[in-house]
Amino acid sequence: MLLQNKFYKVLDSTIDAGGNHGQYRLALLPDCEVYKGHFPGHAVCPGVFNIETIKECAMMLTGRKLAMPTVKQCRFTAVASPAVCPQVDLDLTATATAAGAYLVEARITAGDVTYVEFKGEMTAL
Amino acid sequence: MITEDIERLIPQRAPILMVDRLTQVDGAEGKTEFTIKPDNIFLDDDRRLAEAGLIEHIAQSASAFAGYQALEAGATEPPIGYIGEVKKFHCYRRPQAGEVLHTTVTMGAEVGGVTLLTGATHVGDELVADTRMKISIEK
Repeated sequence: MLLQNKFYKVLDSTIDAGGNHGQYRLALLPDCEVYKGHFPGHAVCPGVFNIETIKECAMMLTGRKLAMPTVKQCRFTAVASPAVCPQVDLDLTATATAAGAYLVEARITAGDVTYVEFKGEMTAL
Repeated sequence: MITEDIERLIPQRAPILMVDRLTQVDGAEGKTEFTIKPDNIFLDDDRRLAEAGLIEHIAQSASAFAGYQALEAGATEPPIGYIGEVKKFHCYRRPQAGEVLHTTVTMGAEVGGVTLLTGATHVGDELVADTRMKISIEK
């Protein structure tokens, strides 16, 4: 995992009995080194770090190391930062396909605000 | 050949500076170059770039193009851009440390401060990633 315990920390998680849906409460870590460069004096979560965080939660949910060959659509609907949203909720569904891949849908929110909506395909490495 | 220092074109800095050079601008098309160093922040434990690193590289390539235009128009600071949407991103192969990414971004229409673009990244002749994207540039 590239970003776990550097960019975010899992505070709590709930996995449904079927094992294909999980909810993760994450703390965004303000001391992550990425903020030195994104941006100097103006710490904002890189959108792609949120995508990588979704991938890592999908790995936790499926228990497999995953690649992400396709992002069908990922919308960033608000700018996240450790100051604006120190904790976020990541809701994730990973549906196994006949071809052995996972269709992953995820959403990152804090309270009423949605930050990221993601649909993509991941495959086990 | 464009000689402008990349730090004049985009506001990102180490450890998430993902473009070395804007090499060419021709109409709506820009070309960039980036060498993956062994300490790149997106390198996974298999020494290959996480897909998110390719998306960031393409976004910063577009940002460099926008920064070049802003500079030509008289700006003194590189504008900050945010990714609004990533659509139809495909990663065909994850490049590894030492490889050089060559990316072409083609800027489309700007609507309400949001620019549509396409980006394609090659290593040598091999297409490794492509995507559509929306970015919003702060002016």
